[in-house]
Amino acid sequence: MNMYAYIIRRLLYVIPVLLGVCLIIFVIFNVVAPDPAFLLLGRHATVEQIASLHHELGMDRPLFVQYLDIIKSAFTFNFGYSWSSKQQIWEMIKAGAGPSLTITVPVFIISNFLSISLALLVAFYRGKLIDKAVLLISIAMMSIPSLAYILFGQWFFGAYLGWFEIAGYEAGFPNFIPYTLLPVMLYVVISWGPDTRFYRAVILDEVYQDYVRTARAKGVGELSIMFKHVLKNAMIPILTQVILQIPFLILGLLLAESFFSIPGLGGMIIKAINTSDFPVIKAMTILSAISFILFGVITDVMYTLVDPRMRLK
Amino acid sequence: MKMRNVLLVMALVTSVLIAGCAKKQDASERVLNVVSTAEIKGYDPIMADDLYSGREISKIYEGLLAYHWLKMPYELIPNLAEAMPEVSKDGTTYTFKIKKGVFFQDDAAFPGGKGRELEAGDFVYSIKRLADSKNQSTGWWVLDGKLKGLNEWRAKNEKLPATNYDEEIAGVKALDKNTLQFTLAKPFPQFLYSLAMTFTYVVAKEVVEKYGKEFINHPVGTGPYVLPKFDQGKRITYTKNPTFREKLYPSDASPEFQHLLGDAGKKLPLIDKVVVHVMVESQPAWLKFGKGEVDYFGVPKDNFATAVKDNKLSADLLAKGMNLTISPQLDVTYTSFNYDNKLFHNANLRRAMYLAYDEKKANELFYNNTAFPAQSITPPGIAGNKPEYKNQWKGPNLELAKKTLALAGYPDGKGLPEIIYDIPDSTTSRQMGEYFQKQMEQIGIKIKIQASPWPEFQAKLKKRSGQMFGIAWGADYPDAENFLQLFYGPNSAPGANSSNYNNPQFNKDFEAAVKMQDSPARTALYEKLNQYLAEEAVSLFGVHRQAYTLQQGWLKNYRASDLHHDSIQYLNIDSAKKEELLKKF
Repeated sequence: MNMYAYIIRRLLYVIPVLLGVCLIIFVIFNVVAPDPAFLLLGRHATVEQIASLHHELGMDRPLFVQYLDIIKSAFTFNFGYSWSSKQQIWEMIKAGAGPSLTITVPVFIISNFLSISLALLVAFYRGKLIDKAVLLISIAMMSIPSLAYILFGQWFFGAYLGWFEIAGYEAGFPNFIPYTLLPVMLYVVISWGPDTRFYRAVILDEVYQDYVRTARAKGVGELSIMFKHVLKNAMIPILTQVILQIPFLILGLLLAESFFSIPGLGGMIIKAINTSDFPVIKAMTILSAISFILFGVITDVMYTLVDPRMRLK
Repeated sequence: MKMRNVLLVMALVTSVLIAGCAKKQDASERVLNVVSTAEIKGYDPIMADDLYSGREISKIYEGLLAYHWLKMPYELIPNLAEAMPEVSKDGTTYTFKIKKGVFFQDDAAFPGGKGRELEAGDFVYSIKRLADSKNQSTGWWVLDGKLKGLNEWRAKNEKLPATNYDEEIAGVKALDKNTLQFTLAKPFPQFLYSLAMTFTYVVAKEVVEKYGKEFINHPVGTGPYVLPKFDQGKRITYTKNPTFREKLYPSDASPEFQHLLGDAGKKLPLIDKVVVHVMVESQPAWLKFGKGEVDYFGVPKDNFATAVKDNKLSADLLAKGMNLTISPQLDVTYTSFNYDNKLFHNANLRRAMYLAYDEKKANELFYNNTAFPAQSITPPGIAGNKPEYKNQWKGPNLELAKKTLALAGYPDGKGLPEIIYDIPDSTTSRQMGEYFQKQMEQIGIKIKIQASPWPEFQAKLKKRSGQMFGIAWGADYPDAENFLQLFYGPNSAPGANSSNYNNPQFNKDFEAAVKMQDSPARTALYEKLNQYLAEEAVSLFGVHRQAYTLQQGWLKNYRASDLHHDSIQYLNIDSAKKEELLKKF
């Protein structure tokens, strides 16, 4: 019962957070962001046209009314139409989520599985050659910018060897697969370095704990110690790291979508920023804020499942 | 249960492996693959103010007039019009006969889903739609003040909750089902060019009304290709319009295009399917072209040195049978002043800056030495550009620049405040800005660079808040008026005259020129206006750029053009050659 109350209380936090997010969106749009009319009306715009468009978009209404409008759309999820593509924003999100997820979900699963496994392995052989080699390679891989991986991957695997499609996308299973293999592979490699280092550090933290020494003293085997004790106790930071990646899966990979011409949500956000498409920016900011809160709650609940000593208060 | 799961995983892995490898090219498939290096805004002709959307819209929609595919200088020919119009003696009335037997593409908007025949009334509706302020068209400037009664109709309807499309306007009338008449408010010979622009392409009222706001994503025209729905994706697939009229490949050509007459008299379009790959990054598009997956592509700046040497293709690209087309673009780059700021009313200051700037070096640095130095605003190939004219203030001449700066009242830049130079925020623009800063430093002028994202940069120009800025202009139509209007006082910001230059004599001569029919007298006046801009150093005119486009050896009928948005229908593929050449990739 205590847990349910906690969840409800945490979910209620969404309200003040959303109000704050709405205020930030409102300030950015009205103070910092350029006037969308100049972009939407093109290079021959007249003063009358600009005024007329401001009226059409509701930009000439009192500021308080505009703020209330943002709050209303945040709580009703009615984001309306895009100013540039004239599509319903929910339709755009639905269309973009699929392509984004076909890249981010495989990357998420494969990279986390590989890096956690590798981290366990090197933690098992800590201080030995394999540990040092993996650490060195991880640092070297982290030092290379992700754009370099993409440019090299497209040239070497796509153009030179001809193993993969260089860029592009076709909707529907299995049509999308040839187009997603290269970006998935590259992003697994890109996240390999930082993820492995992180998980290794987390696991090594546990390896030196008293309970591990006690287990060894009792004669428990090393493999059993690693999987039954160390991994289980390292789960709290691992869960935090893994679950909080999920909202990013929905947002897509900005650079990858641009270079691989994938019609996902990342590209949609960039396009919206470049065209001052405020309703799209507003929708994506609000949805991101909500998903971060939601997955934060899920992480907390998962803690109690992994570690029964934990209680939600 | 476990066995079933294993089988499921195995099936999934197998399907991944089967589908996984890169697709092989099929030479027998008659599909044209092209790249759009910018996102497509949508398919509403009245919103098509960028080249990329214009190209896509022109696959589906059409206008009354078009440019002849194989003629230079650009020549207007009838497209949906039966013939060129009858023009009244005073040059204000244009009467067109509309082609019979032209049908809109089949769509659910029409009764029984069958596209109906095109009528003169469709043009009247499309013109009014362009003028309707509720539609916020980016192309209203094309007709603003041009047609009798149209501005009044627009103003009246702006205040009404719903626009009255049934009200008759003197400026555009359907005399009968196939006769369309335009009446201009005053003579404006360039009007005909506007009838070949995407903004005036014809749409059907039923389709606009059926799809409402989403009309932009449901293109239904009379053109050569069909796209059932635009989903704002990165791969746009067009198929041949089965009800497209009998339109033939041209049988005559200018001397330089005689070699493109191989398909003369054949029914258009020549290719059944077109795939447009939207790729905003040039590297993957260039690699795809290198693999033969794209039929033509402009050489990216970063690949220029490896692909082209001395205006010839590199040996490896030649070995793959590729061709190179070099064509001058109808554009100009220029650095201008905001004349709202009195500082720039000093002609000697402007001239000194011009003299200090080494354009030749800039051409080498930023255009791989492929651009033409601009002597004034109008590019070569357009009446008003005098090929032999040389601008006396074009640098570099540091000695004279210093003397002229002293004459301006700022010896060695003393007493001159720091000047803010606005540029769009991109790597190349920053490099150009820094180059300009260094050039000015040589004579003691201090420049501060201010880079802003494109929307902000544009906002600064529209709000007249900058001091100096670097920009480029591409032709909307092949007439000097389209370039000279950039300095016409009444066009000041937020109009196209971002310099806010307002010289009564220039304005008067400009107004006289634009009323004149194409004639030696008009050309002479255009030349005078161009020379005036150069002598007064009204702006620092940079270069006219050239397009370097590579085509695969199997692509037929290609020519580069700034104005032919409808080029795809003329292109063809030699399948046998494609099969042979693909072996070399």
